[in-house]
Amino acid sequence: MSTSRRQFLQSASAALIGLSIKGDRPVVGTFVNDSFQMGHQLRDRASFSQPKQVAKHAVVIIGGGIAGLSSAWRLHKKGFADFVLLEMNDQPGGNSRWGENEITAYPWAAHYVPVPGLKAIYVRELFEDLGVLKNGQWEERYLCFTPQERLFLYGRWQEGIEPAVGLTPADRDQFRRLEDRIHEFRATGKFTVPMEIGLSDTTADLDQLSFADWLRAQRMDSRILNWYMNYCCRDDYGATTNNTSAWAGIQYFASREPEEKGPLTWPEGNGWIVRRLLERVGSFVETNRMVHKISRRGNGFSVLAGDTEYQTEFIIFAAPTFLAAYLVEGMAPLHDFEYSPWLTANLTLEHFPDSYGPDPTWDNVFMESPTLGYVDATHQSVRSHVERTVWTFYWALADGLPSENRQLLLNKDWNYWKEAILHDLERVHHDIRKCVSRIDIMRMGHAMARPKVGAIFSAERRNLAKAHGRILFANSDLSGFSIFEEAQYRGVNAADRVLSQVAGAHGPTH
Amino acid sequence: MLLIAACGLIYELIAGTLASYLLGDSVLQFSTIIGCYLFAMGIGSALSRYIDRGLAYRFVWIELLLGVIGGFSSALLFLAFAYTQGFQLLMYALVIVIGVLVGLEIPLLMRIIRDRYHFRDVVAHVLTFDYLGALGASLLFPILLVPYLGLVRSAMLFGIINVLVALWSTFLFAKQLASVQALRIMCVVVLCGLGIGLAQAKRITIAAEDNIYADEIIFARDTRYQHIVLTRFKDDIRLFLSSHLQFSSRDEYRYHEALVHPGLSAIPAPRRVLVLGGGDGLAVREILKYPQIESITLVDLDPEMTRLFSTHPMLTALNQKSFSSPKVHITNADAFPWVDSNGDSFDFIVIDFPDPTNYSLGKLYTTAFYKAAARHLSAQGLMVVQSTSPMFARDSYWCIAETLKQAGLKTYPYHVYVPSFGEWGFVIASFRDYRIPTSLPHGLRFVSVDGLPALFQFPPDMSPLPMPPNRLNDQVLVRAYDQDWKDISH
Repeated sequence: MSTSRRQFLQSASAALIGLSIKGDRPVVGTFVNDSFQMGHQLRDRASFSQPKQVAKHAVVIIGGGIAGLSSAWRLHKKGFADFVLLEMNDQPGGNSRWGENEITAYPWAAHYVPVPGLKAIYVRELFEDLGVLKNGQWEERYLCFTPQERLFLYGRWQEGIEPAVGLTPADRDQFRRLEDRIHEFRATGKFTVPMEIGLSDTTADLDQLSFADWLRAQRMDSRILNWYMNYCCRDDYGATTNNTSAWAGIQYFASREPEEKGPLTWPEGNGWIVRRLLERVGSFVETNRMVHKISRRGNGFSVLAGDTEYQTEFIIFAAPTFLAAYLVEGMAPLHDFEYSPWLTANLTLEHFPDSYGPDPTWDNVFMESPTLGYVDATHQSVRSHVERTVWTFYWALADGLPSENRQLLLNKDWNYWKEAILHDLERVHHDIRKCVSRIDIMRMGHAMARPKVGAIFSAERRNLAKAHGRILFANSDLSGFSIFEEAQYRGVNAADRVLSQVAGAHGPTH
Repeated sequence: MLLIAACGLIYELIAGTLASYLLGDSVLQFSTIIGCYLFAMGIGSALSRYIDRGLAYRFVWIELLLGVIGGFSSALLFLAFAYTQGFQLLMYALVIVIGVLVGLEIPLLMRIIRDRYHFRDVVAHVLTFDYLGALGASLLFPILLVPYLGLVRSAMLFGIINVLVALWSTFLFAKQLASVQALRIMCVVVLCGLGIGLAQAKRITIAAEDNIYADEIIFARDTRYQHIVLTRFKDDIRLFLSSHLQFSSRDEYRYHEALVHPGLSAIPAPRRVLVLGGGDGLAVREILKYPQIESITLVDLDPEMTRLFSTHPMLTALNQKSFSSPKVHITNADAFPWVDSNGDSFDFIVIDFPDPTNYSLGKLYTTAFYKAAARHLSAQGLMVVQSTSPMFARDSYWCIAETLKQAGLKTYPYHVYVPSFGEWGFVIASFRDYRIPTSLPHGLRFVSVDGLPALFQFPPDMSPLPMPPNRLNDQVLVRAYDQDWKDISH
């Protein structure tokens, strides 16, 4: 009997009896949003065709992630319209890109913004613009619904990600001491979001050792506490505590003082913010425009992208800063910028696993796993009944050298990563293979700036951040780490500095 | 003879009853099952001609098989209904197999005993007892078996009778049988099996539910959204949704009169009403007592639920066919997205959801939801919210009231006593002031003009507690509700 005939008979008889054959679902999927081919053309100094046309703008923004879009938002809001934003990919958003299928929209990377504190004035201003903050109240629908987070440990789930069950008195003591230390650091006002506001040379010594070393020096050797610290660093920086500056480790905890139970999140993650920004400044954005050369031209610049030469007076360089060394003619190589490779995957689930537990939770983390777990994209739906869903799976390749992990990302095929993801999920959901019908995977070689030892107080970083010329840098990596608020701050800040120079050169803009 | 005839009919009745309870449409179920059964008996009779040796041996075997298949038929059907989609296929297969076996019984029996009597007497005897047995079974079944034993155990009891007949036959026809011992051992083994089945029948029915449903289950279905179970004890019909009691037909009028009339009677000229939840049509029944109402929109998630309460005779008797009224428009949708996307305005909104037992249901008790629902209120509009028990879940009740307040509404909490629930609470909420009505529709059994003011008085053991509001990002209500009921059970 041929296979197809047997399959037909099997399915026919199954349909007849009405019992589904309890097997694994076939899983389909691909790599998506690959952009390393384009990046490698730059690295390898490939030859590009000569431009066929010329476009003139007072300002060219390079990079359509949160930083670049925030520059555009600021310029537009200040009534300035003579600019263009060039995005290399066909979809703007950078680390806040999103996808959508017939079930829900879902994030491809950044999926939340902690409820911003009072110092994050630009973020608050943006959220007021977008209706997220109204008369001092945060819109309930944009705050993460209950239950927010859970951690799988010792074969069960606990609410919250900070381990709370199975702690020894020693573990508890160390958590308490850490909390006290963090409280002291917070009270100094030197750890803020955005980081530039509080940054003080008096904390520079914390940038000279790793977070792991700092914890050791504090006699905090609890395995559980160190797991949690590692998880936090992997989550925000894509690095282990060994490869994270102690300053950055402390920043993670000491910089935030939540005024409301959050975070802010949407089905498509921070893609929601990108969408709202594009509603406002989308007409200034040109996609599939990879810049391949920037050279001086009189007082301004010539920016080559595709078949066009953009002649401009100012550049806001909002793409990852390390790319500038490949693009800007005569720019010296950069040494202090390191990036963590990441993998994210979106899994389509035909139904929740039986092993899921009673209440769909937003962020699901597994203790004994190298990955960061998954986030449920339908969690922010107001529906009370959800059948199919999409999980966004996060995996910062934090262990080992970034360059080797980048090779791994490139060399292994989709099937390898699909199996790795399913194996990881099977630790917790033994029946996951019966639920998943599709896995799309996004590989990012340079996903996030890594705040390694010395990165925060690096002279190179600080000089580029405050450079006051006609080319202004705006990527979040100028803060040493990639988070939404830093990207937005850098973007707005660069726009303001351009505007002050334009005003100086041309008088008031309106 | 009497017994085997009774057994045969009982299995058929069980299949018919189960099918009409579980699938509805009893006329269709009974007539198709009787048809199949009689047809299968014909096949059995026809097949009997191919049996020419070892008649008694085969007869014993048939009785044994009937005992096993018939005895477990009801349990099997329940399980098939609960866990597979193949209920009907299995049911007709069982009916046909049992029919064939029963069809074989009579001719074989006639041939076995034909040597003892005249043919004339054989036919007369066998058929007389056959019909007598059928009469006995048809009387026993509704009067004694279903009320006292239920379907699963009745089937097992008659399975046991079949096997006893087989065992008896081994003595009766001992001379005609070769391996009497083996047959008897077989009978005893099967008897034990059925005996255990009978003892465990409660568990077999639907494993975990028997602790909850004290009465006979007359309808059970897993829909996409919930588990619907109807039970009946004498004239008391109870509805359980995912194991939570929704109403008892003996006192639901108290609940539904109290849910609807204090609010609706206070609105001068109500025309349009919205009911969120309430798929049993009982709130709609009360609303239809106001002739001036032009349209009632009912939004309930589960189409199975509204269909059941539109078609099941026992249930349409209860809701007085409220879903058949041309004023009623049923929409099967998730309430929160529906409220978000719909733009209509209503004079009265009834919010009657299951209790906030989990975070998914808890979303329907949040400031965000009440704000969205209140956008549908007309200028004179009021809404009423089922708000759990202010007695057993006092924190939860006052949390719901606070949530409505935080959604910008004025609140008017009240409570009633519903014997099957205990003290139960509601909250009227609106942008305008509410005054207790001074007239009510005629014919109410519980709510009265004189009694109304007392409903708004809370004795000290149910008086307000300071509670935070329930919000999407901080669902304190689900935790409070969980804790409230934990406290009760300790």
